[in-house]
Amino acid sequence: MKLSASDRISQLLIIVLLLLLCVSVIYPFMYMLAISLNEGSDAAKGGVYLLPRQFTLYNYEVVLGNSVIQHAYLITIARTIIGTAIGLFITLLAAFGLSYRMMPLRGAILGYVLITMLFNGGLIPFYIQLYDLSLVNTFWVYILPSAFSAWNMFVMMKFIQGIPEALVESAEMDGATPFRVLYSVIVPLSKPMLAAIGLFTGVMHWNDWFAGAFFVSDQNLIPVQTFLQQLLSAQDISTVLGSNNNVEALARGTAMAKVTLMSIKMATVMVSAIPILCVYPFLQRYFVKGVLIGSVKG
Amino acid sequence: MLDRLAKYRWQYLMILPSVVLLFLFSYIPMVGIQVAFKDFHIGSTIWNSPWIGFENFAFLRDDQFWVVVKNTLYIAVLKFAVGFPAPILLALLINEVRHSGFKRFVQSVSYLPHFFSWIVVAYILQSMLTLDGGLVNQFIGNLGGDPIFFLGSTEWFRPMIVASGLWKEVGWNTILYLAAITTIDPQLYEAAKVEGAGKLGQMRHITLPGMLPTISIVLILSMPSLIAVGMDQIYPLMNPANQPVADVLDTYILRSGLQQGYFSPATAIGLLSSVISLALVLGTNRMARKINGEGLW
Repeated sequence: MKLSASDRISQLLIIVLLLLLCVSVIYPFMYMLAISLNEGSDAAKGGVYLLPRQFTLYNYEVVLGNSVIQHAYLITIARTIIGTAIGLFITLLAAFGLSYRMMPLRGAILGYVLITMLFNGGLIPFYIQLYDLSLVNTFWVYILPSAFSAWNMFVMMKFIQGIPEALVESAEMDGATPFRVLYSVIVPLSKPMLAAIGLFTGVMHWNDWFAGAFFVSDQNLIPVQTFLQQLLSAQDISTVLGSNNNVEALARGTAMAKVTLMSIKMATVMVSAIPILCVYPFLQRYFVKGVLIGSVKG
Repeated sequence: MLDRLAKYRWQYLMILPSVVLLFLFSYIPMVGIQVAFKDFHIGSTIWNSPWIGFENFAFLRDDQFWVVVKNTLYIAVLKFAVGFPAPILLALLINEVRHSGFKRFVQSVSYLPHFFSWIVVAYILQSMLTLDGGLVNQFIGNLGGDPIFFLGSTEWFRPMIVASGLWKEVGWNTILYLAAITTIDPQLYEAAKVEGAGKLGQMRHITLPGMLPTISIVLILSMPSLIAVGMDQIYPLMNPANQPVADVLDTYILRSGLQQGYFSPATAIGLLSSVISLALVLGTNRMARKINGEGLW
């Protein structure tokens, strides 16, 4: 099909606009990466825009050598794995159970779930409850309150209801219990959906800083994002340099002048962002699929 | 009846953990709202705290509270006015791209920021805007201007929140719209061409109406978070310098409740904002029903 002149101009205009959008997304990460790979005192002079000028891995050595950050990383990884596994398991069980349309009380239970999506007690009563359950200042405060997600449950249920009932029925005819049906019929057919929801749950855990900041006071329990949040308003680098395991790296004389608060901050934020940047290109289609499963109105 | 219940015993067992979790983490906090009408201190229980009526609602006479309400509404309206139409426009733009490879590239890139936390966004803003060595101030300096203290400014705070919110979510929010566009019957476009409609005409008379049901669903679903203007986003960027405009209901609740220990008054404020959110959802749903013939339920 031949394009008219005005069509070509509008195409060009659209492409330029969208390219600008892409640059605005990608550039900040490149900038932060450049600063984090540059000697701090040199970067502070300005002029580092895209590539490091005085290349060094020193910022990363300091950040990765910090025992608080190392520990925070372990917490983040642990809560992401455990939280996602438990969250998927509990929510999938409920979704499968509620996918039986003829089940007595099903409507009532769905209503019970729906109400929690429309109304909640608010932050303070929630906190009081966490306190009463002795969850405050424990690792489980990251896992249990978010283990069931009403939104994910509805997405899963809708997906499961789209699986031909004949498959479930024939398995039941063979004497399979619902647990067996779930394990050998539903789960194999739900892999893309489980992948999508698992990824969303995982990202939620990876990115959550709030619980670590307000439901936990023990510095040994904070995740990376909460550490970042504390570092964001730090006025000097003692937050990072104190309790550093990498003492010999720190002690390397003049090297101290090579880090600044900004270069350390950029290295820390990149350390938290790089895993997501790495997995994103491969998993992107699952994310999109996940949103679309959820949007089909039923 | 008992037979039918017994027939589904395994299913009930499967649902049980979730019912218990909701009971513990959603319903008990709802019951806990009574703290708003009690004199509660941590250490005592919700039940044995004395009732004090509406004393906790004394904040309604506090000027500071109304400043916070104004800030909340201001940011909510700004974010909505920019954040709601933007993905619709972006979806229309992306839809017009003819080169399918480029189209996929734009989509992939624009979804990316959604996967980073607001903390990371705050760092990006800091690296761009800080006084000592921030990128934008470097440019202003090179052009001979005076550096601007964006991060501690009452004027720049709202634009900063709106722009960074847009940056993070605009791409992601196009997904549903782009999906809606693909379901539009191509014959409609052919017919419009025959009638002599140009690109813009097709957009207005076919693409937009085709997106309308999705638009209304997104509108309803965005209502609960309207008043919750994104504490996740605002809290990391708030500091004493910009607090006069940055302090919103949620940060106010956080500060007076969790940090200063005024649990009861903070609960009272939370109750007020929950009720407003609920009213917004129900109201929008009713409106959508009138306009579309159907709401979300």
